[in-house]
Amino acid sequence: MHTILGVPLAFIWPQLLLGLINGAFYAMLSMGLAIIFGMLNIINFLHGAFYMLGAFCTWMALQYLGIGFWPSLVLVPLTVAVAGLVLERALIRHVYDIDPLYGLLLTFGLALVIEGVFRNFFGSAGRPYAIPAALSGATNLGFMVLPMYRAWALGISVAVCIGTWLIIERTKLGAYLRAATERPDIVLTFGINVRRLVTLTYALGVGLAALAGTLAAPIYQVSPQMGSGLLVTVFAVVVIGGMGSIGGSILAGLALGVVEGLTKVFYGAFSNTVIFVIMAMVILARPAQLFSGGTHAAAAGTGSDTGSDRVAPVLWWALAALGLAAPFAVYPFLLIKALCIALFACSFNLLVGYVGLMSFGHAAFFGMAAYVTAHLVKAWGMPPELAILAGMTVAGVLGTAFGWLAIRRQGLYFAMITLALAQTVYFFALQAKFTHGEDGIQGVPRGHLLGMIDLGNNMTMYYFVYAVFVAAFFLIYRIIHSPFGLVLKATRDNEARAVSLGYRVDRFKLMAFALSSLLAGLAGSLKALTFQLATLSDIDFQASGAVVLLTLVGGMGTVLGPVVGAFVVVAMEHYLAGLGSWVSVIQGAIFTACVLAFRRGIVGQIGVWLQRRRNLRNAAEGATMKPFVGS
Amino acid sequence: MPEANPGDALLDVRDLHAYYGASHVLQGIDFSVRRGEVVTLLGRNGAGKTTILRSVIGLVRRRTGTIRVDGAETIGLTADRIARLGLAYCPDERAIFSNLTVAENLELPPVLRPGGLSLAEIYELFPNLKERLRSGGNRLSGGEQQMLAIGRILRTGATILLLDEPTEGLAPIIIEEIGAVLDKLKQRGFTILLVEQNFAFASRYADRHYIVEDGRIVEMLNNADLLRDFDRIKKFLSV
Repeated sequence: MHTILGVPLAFIWPQLLLGLINGAFYAMLSMGLAIIFGMLNIINFLHGAFYMLGAFCTWMALQYLGIGFWPSLVLVPLTVAVAGLVLERALIRHVYDIDPLYGLLLTFGLALVIEGVFRNFFGSAGRPYAIPAALSGATNLGFMVLPMYRAWALGISVAVCIGTWLIIERTKLGAYLRAATERPDIVLTFGINVRRLVTLTYALGVGLAALAGTLAAPIYQVSPQMGSGLLVTVFAVVVIGGMGSIGGSILAGLALGVVEGLTKVFYGAFSNTVIFVIMAMVILARPAQLFSGGTHAAAAGTGSDTGSDRVAPVLWWALAALGLAAPFAVYPFLLIKALCIALFACSFNLLVGYVGLMSFGHAAFFGMAAYVTAHLVKAWGMPPELAILAGMTVAGVLGTAFGWLAIRRQGLYFAMITLALAQTVYFFALQAKFTHGEDGIQGVPRGHLLGMIDLGNNMTMYYFVYAVFVAAFFLIYRIIHSPFGLVLKATRDNEARAVSLGYRVDRFKLMAFALSSLLAGLAGSLKALTFQLATLSDIDFQASGAVVLLTLVGGMGTVLGPVVGAFVVVAMEHYLAGLGSWVSVIQGAIFTACVLAFRRGIVGQIGVWLQRRRNLRNAAEGATMKPFVGS
Repeated sequence: MPEANPGDALLDVRDLHAYYGASHVLQGIDFSVRRGEVVTLLGRNGAGKTTILRSVIGLVRRRTGTIRVDGAETIGLTADRIARLGLAYCPDERAIFSNLTVAENLELPPVLRPGGLSLAEIYELFPNLKERLRSGGNRLSGGEQQMLAIGRILRTGATILLLDEPTEGLAPIIIEEIGAVLDKLKQRGFTILLVEQNFAFASRYADRHYIVEDGRIVEMLNNADLLRDFDRIKKFLSV
């Protein structure tokens, strides 16, 4: 029997086929992302949800309506495309004229809602879908047994990819699309209804994702979370293939699917991460300019430094006193949790609010630090203060490495890259021995601080965390208002200008990223000690999304925003706990509402009100003074 | 008497105001263009000439006043609807689509009304384009881009052409060619509103001129006035 590197060919062929099928799905999804990005200037985080919807609707159609695979193959993509069309018309179009990162956040929120709803009704368990009778069975090709359905699914997927490519590159409609991607205004002056074109493009992209989902139903288990994991991989594919060309998406998708499939044969543990590693290499090797399709330098920060920056000292003292008294009124454990999350959010806000870098992978630092601290305390018996420092160090090193890679891209690409890199850390945590996989590290002793103070008591733990939090918060406050912080803000507001003033912007960004990851690590370490637990839910991309959520709710780019956001969200989780898993749906909905109507967040909005009142008062004073000044 | 009577104007603009964000860019513009006329908007950089064209075609969203095209009010319409009334716009940056070939660029604007030029007629006007049909839109020289940008809006059946500085940054010999094209288009009955900073070019090919200054029209001149008051007018155009 023939072998390659000691692996029999008979094992390789099926993996190659599965790799190709996966690659074709990647291609269909990244192609859809690319055309949607071209027309809407939005990274469609909903894409994974639409893929899942495609699979789920196929399953439901059979289960509840008795509609088989073949009608579903046509009906499901159409239905889901219509759903996408409605979402686009009703919600997504409202964010076209603002920073594209809000499009990412909006679709992220909507994806949370859709996934959450399905999890509530159907649970997380996968559901099998039978292969259609006409395609069951397999053919023996001599060198391998070819399952009919898989061969057919691959053929259809590739045909659809080529068909889409032909439509876009060779037809009049495609020419309109390509032209509108470059200059929608000019295409509009040709008498073409560009808004309709945008909606149709979105529906087309969504339909492709749903079709991939329908095709995937008989191959994979149908489950509510099948889309979100896939989407992160597709983001990496998009970063590698660039979003400028449809052909590039198809080739990159297929090639990466094959690479992934072959990695599974030769070094299985690496197969989840190989695409992300390739992405990192591509980022290093290719200068950013080669990516066509607009990398946006625009910052995510709302830049609303109003109000909160000029908080009266008396308010600070009041807040500090409130913090000291709080555990006598509220369950201390809840307060510690909120403080840890608040610190995590502050670290994220330092980056997004003051440097304009939207990291969608901050949970990697938070979660990794939690694991390291938990492991050191539990397995090595290290004292808590050293374990916290070790956790921070690991997070800081990791952050420096990620930052070094990610700052080479801006805006949406930055967000996708941080998300993809964080996913590699997630897979590491899933597979490494010391993290104990799905179980996590449990029963971590809190130990004695400096060998003296027993942290086992929640009250003591609270004051320890509170002291650390105040120190970290003060540090962040100082950073923001230092000359270093001013350079960061200048970079956020106008990077080109900062560069032309002679600042080495990349170095500043990297330092900010490292600092931010260090503080995120501190939050993670504290959290691990408090909960005596480090699990995958600290490190998965939902955790990264959650920190974005609560910072947005509180107010991005305001000093107090993340803190307020953290307390609001933690309180909500606590008091709504009776609603069970609906909480994530509610959070997604709040998130969506924030992006659409309330982008300044709570603190930002209060700042605006205060500013307005101040202006009114000034105006009133100005009016009374007028007789003296005038004439 | 050079002032056009609004009654027989094909394009008639009254009290046009336009805004970009907080800035009030056009502050009450009045002018009109008769059927078959070539009219220029002269003025220095930042005077508001381009904004006038963009307001007429509907690309400036915040605009008030009256813009009538052949009697029909367009102030509340979007650009695609305005285009269907027979207007076509050629921006100063030419906006050739780099993802499209020359042929695709040329054939992209749909034919909205009868009476447009055929491809053969366009090639006759711009022989250079015919040799570059398969090139990418980003591989053209400045002159070729300008020819393509004008050529592609001639097929659509539009009768009013809004041309923004078609001579900007081009060699004198190319400017000459563009001028010849303008003459031919005029003979064919096109109505042309031209933004220009090139004084000599404007006086050679246009019938009337409006001077734009700080978002207002300060003067209307015919060719004879323009030559007679050359020195006085020049101060409006140079910094």
